[in-house]
Amino acid sequence: MSFASYLAQRWQHILVLVAQHAEVVAIAVSIATVVGVGLGVAVHGRPLANRLALAATGTVLTIPSFALFGLLIPLVGLGTAPTVTALALYAIFPILRNTITGLESVPASVADAAIGMGLSRTRRLLTVRLPLAWPVVITGIRLATIMVVAIAAIAASVAGPGLGQLIFHGLAHTGGVNALNDTLAGVIGVALLALALDLLFTVLFRLTTSRGIRD
Amino acid sequence: MATTVLASRGSREQPSGRDNVPGRSALRTTAGLLFTPILLSAVCLALFAYLGSRDLDDIERRSINAEVIGRSLVEHLRLVALSTVIVVVIAVPLGILLTRPGPRRLAPVFLALANIGQAVPSVGLLVLLAVTAGIGFSQAVVALVVYSLLPVLRNTMIGLQRVDRTLIDAGRGMGLTRTAVLFRVELPLAIPVMLAGIRVALIINVGTATLAVFTNAGGLGTLIETGIVLNRITILLTGSILAAVLALAVDWLAGLAERLLRPRGL
Repeated sequence: MSFASYLAQRWQHILVLVAQHAEVVAIAVSIATVVGVGLGVAVHGRPLANRLALAATGTVLTIPSFALFGLLIPLVGLGTAPTVTALALYAIFPILRNTITGLESVPASVADAAIGMGLSRTRRLLTVRLPLAWPVVITGIRLATIMVVAIAAIAASVAGPGLGQLIFHGLAHTGGVNALNDTLAGVIGVALLALALDLLFTVLFRLTTSRGIRD
Repeated sequence: MATTVLASRGSREQPSGRDNVPGRSALRTTAGLLFTPILLSAVCLALFAYLGSRDLDDIERRSINAEVIGRSLVEHLRLVALSTVIVVVIAVPLGILLTRPGPRRLAPVFLALANIGQAVPSVGLLVLLAVTAGIGFSQAVVALVVYSLLPVLRNTMIGLQRVDRTLIDAGRGMGLTRTAVLFRVELPLAIPVMLAGIRVALIINVGTATLAVFTNAGGLGTLIETGIVLNRITILLTGSILAAVLALAVDWLAGLAERLLRPRGL
């Protein structure tokens, strides 16, 4: 069967898998954003905690994804749970690192001015430091998303949802009529989803960056 | 897996690698240097104690024995070593070529292609090769090479591009030929960035090699896969923990090598 007629026949199934894929990525990145940004704010200005947090989350990133999925199975079982947990764990490092870098890049004079204006700690964080750091933070979230989209394809090995199922289905039926079509659809689907999310972040970047620091 | 973000951290022009990250300087102190090996040994001992305390059944004993574990480990290391060597042999000369006058114009094309290639999942590449070219060791090596080429290529190019123009001019002014400037000025200055890229490629390869089990090329992924299929937590944990320990150990060794190989004075 040609790839075109394969697509014509299976597009609905493929779209469902794309949606599943995007969904686990979105959930994982949302969790990682809350943890990463929160942790980044918490360790800001504390060099030791800063270093520990980066070392710990960076170590997670070094662990092979299949091994991390494997380590999570005894804890949370098979399927969506280990998928979301592993992806969130991977996504924390880039978000945390960029949050720290972003907060450090806020000019000291601006931070001083905010203190001089009598703003409380929380208000300084929410109205001055985070908005100024945001372009760097959202770049971290974008990098994390793109990375996690590719890793999510491996989730099918632990019965997780998403486009990885097509890839593993193709592998299991090597030599069959649709083995190559399945695999191609899975691989191209993941790559296109990554590109689409990259574009989405370009839009989000414009929409969420404070008007004064937009270029 | 420590893949894409290591290879594309920061903006597009940033080199890959973690040494630009504040806080990755833990290797500088002796205590920091010894922390990782001590921790990893402790994890291995704990795994050993856990397996010893369990009454393993027949199925478990067929996977958890010195022979099978040793073979998987050797297969894994062979995959990683061979693919990393091939990557360096291809990517470093290519990176040098793409920064020379003339071919330099092609550099953005290669970088853009490589960036798009990053969006392709590693397991997809492995399976694609398996479905089209068959399963086995050499196909897995090809997939690993294709997947980890980017960080080395990119870091070679960026490392060379970052060399101060005035230093190159000074070298030329001293009467050195272009080749002599390349080997005695540009490459030594670019080596730290290039080494960081090779380290990233190494970690990517250790990670991707765990997936080689799906294309019958063995490796520690075999134990993980067996554990999942046969529903034996002990086998699953043995494979996962050993793969994680291996990746962290390789990263630690690469970090050490990175420090030792860096030219003095930089």
